[in-house]
This record gives sequence, C-alpha cells and structure tokens, in this order.
Amino acid sequence: MAATDPIAEKTDEELARDARAGSRRSFEELASRYKRRLFVYLRPRLGSDEDAEDMVQDTFLKIYRSIDRYDPAYRFSTWLYTSASRLAIDSFRKNAVARDQALASSGTDIPDQAAGREFEAGAAGVWDTARTLGTARYRVLWLRYGEDMTIEEIAAVLGRSRLAVRVLLHRARTSLAGRLGPDVGLAARTRSGVARQAAGD
Amino acid sequence: MLCTISRWMVSRAEDTGKPLPRIVERHVRRCGVCGDQARSSASLASRLRGERSALLAEVPEFPAGLESDGEQPRRGSRAADTARPGARRPWLALRPLPVAASLIVLAAAGLVLFRVIPRGTAPSAEDRVAARAAIKMLTSAPQGLQGVFGEAESSLDKERRILEKSLASAIDYLGARLNIKVERKVGPKSL
Repeated sequence: MAATDPIAEKTDEELARDARAGSRRSFEELASRYKRRLFVYLRPRLGSDEDAEDMVQDTFLKIYRSIDRYDPAYRFSTWLYTSASRLAIDSFRKNAVARDQALASSGTDIPDQAAGREFEAGAAGVWDTARTLGTARYRVLWLRYGEDMTIEEIAAVLGRSRLAVRVLLHRARTSLAGRLGPDVGLAARTRSGVARQAAGD
Repeated sequence: MLCTISRWMVSRAEDTGKPLPRIVERHVRRCGVCGDQARSSASLASRLRGERSALLAEVPEFPAGLESDGEQPRRGSRAADTARPGARRPWLALRPLPVAASLIVLAAAGLVLFRVIPRGTAPSAEDRVAARAAIKMLTSAPQGLQGVFGEAESSLDKERRILEKSLASAIDYLGARLNIKVERKVGPKSL
C-alpha cells in the first residue's frame, strides 16, 4: 500500500504557514494547486496565454516574497487572488499606457487586446459562455463558483463593496441564464462529460 | 416591478442562503418568467461548479511558482530559485539579455583598442650577440667625426679673420679721410 504524501493532505492555510516558516516544498504544493486556477481567472483579462502564464508566475513570486505578511486567520485563496488582481490591474494600466504611446507615435490603430481575449470554445460549456459576459462578470462568477468564495471574500479580492459584488453576481447570473437558454444546459453537461472522459477524470 | 424585486431576492437567496420571503415565493410560483429564473439560478450554480474541472483541464501545462525541475522555467521562476522571502530578485536574472549584450560590446571595444599580438619564440644566444653588435655599431661615433668638427671650427676662424681684415681697412680709410689716428687697444677682444 503506497504511503500518501503528508504535504498533499494539508490545507492551503497549513501549507502557507509552513511556507512562512521556510518550507519551500509547501510553497511548491500551493503553487501546483493554484496555478491553473489562477490562469483561468487571469486569462480573460490579459491578451494571451503567455501573458496569463507570466502573470501567474509574477503572482507566485510576489506571494513568496511577502509570505511573512500572510495572516493564517484568513483564507489563503483570498490573499492569493487579491495579489493577483492587483498585479493584473497594474499590468493592464502599464499596457494601456504603452498602447497609448504607441498609438500617439504611429498614428495608426492598434488591434484591441479584447479581440484576442476570447477563449476558443472548449469542453467547459457553461464557462465558455461565461467568458463572453465580460471580464468583470466572468471573474466574479469564477470566484463564487470556481473558488466557492463568500460575498465578503469576493469583495475583498475585487476591492468592491458587498452590495456591488451582489449586484455584479446577480447580473452575471441573469445574463448567463439568458445566453444559455433552457436547452444549452443539457448540451453543456454533455460536453463537460466528454471532456472529463478525455481528461481521464 | 414585483418581478424585478423577486429576481433580485432570488439572487440574494442564492448568495446568502436566506429563505425567500413569502410574498416572493408566491410570486415565483405564479409568474412563469420568474419561476424559470429561480430554477435556472439554482441549476446554474451546480452546473458552474460541475464544469469547473473541465475548465481547468483545458489549461495548458506550464511551470509556475518555484518549480525548477523538468522543463526550463519561464520568466521569473529562475529568479525565484535564488529568491528568499523578503529578498529582491537578482538584477542579472531580471535582465540577462542586456547584460549579455553589454559584455559583447565591452569585448568588442577591447579588441578594437588593444591589438593582441602573439609572442614568437625566444631569440637564441647567437641572435642576441648579433643584435648587441648591431646596436653598438649604430650608436658608436664615426671615425672622421673629430676632423669634421675641426674643419667646421677652421671655417669660423677664417670668417673671423676676413671680418677683422675688412674692419681694419675701414678704420684706415676713416683715419686717412678724417686725418685722425685710430689705435688698437692692447689685448683686443676676439670677435
């Protein structure tokens, strides 16, 4: 009988506490748990897969350097997503400034990043549709249903009030239900099952 | 208006877990659109949670965090291998290309400024003797050098004598013309 890795059984908060005490392996475990989730969260906001991967890297570096400041009283995911959101905002602003400067110097139109922001239609039918709702609605849906965060935690991550988050969620759900329609849910479930089979779940 | 409020209350119940007010419950039962919205809202949450793993399965594999095993880490993670909590990223790791370019420019400038000439084999003892003899021959004074100096000096004396002679004749002329006698001092200074 194969022995299970004790690190894999620890909670995020326990791993973060160990990482704060100097355990590099605990941090690696945290990174492997969250890298895909962060990618999915950041990708619609950024221009490409490469940018999203770089942003995930930068987020983990930032987290690693400031792990001393992590308070185990709060969920690790909230802290991680808050850092990622701030980094994404900084990056977005820098890119916007660079785009403005390039536009001013060239005098020609530059293709909008949003044009390449859409994911290709994949196996995750509901989430594929959620991406078309816009970055803000997609992110709030991901934090609520992808990460199972409470309204308070989402508000902390996004830097908004609880009411604003609830309004955003309400609109996102209404729009999503409108786009899916009564029959799309079944199709989405079917595609999801095919994807899970392909992934070996 | 009641529909708008009902839908908002349904959404709120989804987020907070609080039960719907009785009046909203009654409306949802009677209004078809609000009833659909309530049902889809409930199923939407389970659908989103259920398809979460399918969404994550779409994400391509890439290195993240501090992992340095396997494939080459992407930007940043190389720096993280040496980073510690609270430490800054090494400058070299941040900008490897500018550093490499600077080194190449420095090396090129060094090659332009300083020509590198490889040393040949050391000269033999015979070569050294021959070289010393050649130097001695070049630096020694020629044999007729004293005679040349003597000739140059005699030429100067000659000029002086001619000058003294013409001066004496000029004085004689002036003495005869002005009827005076000019005498030469004893121990005349040489010109």
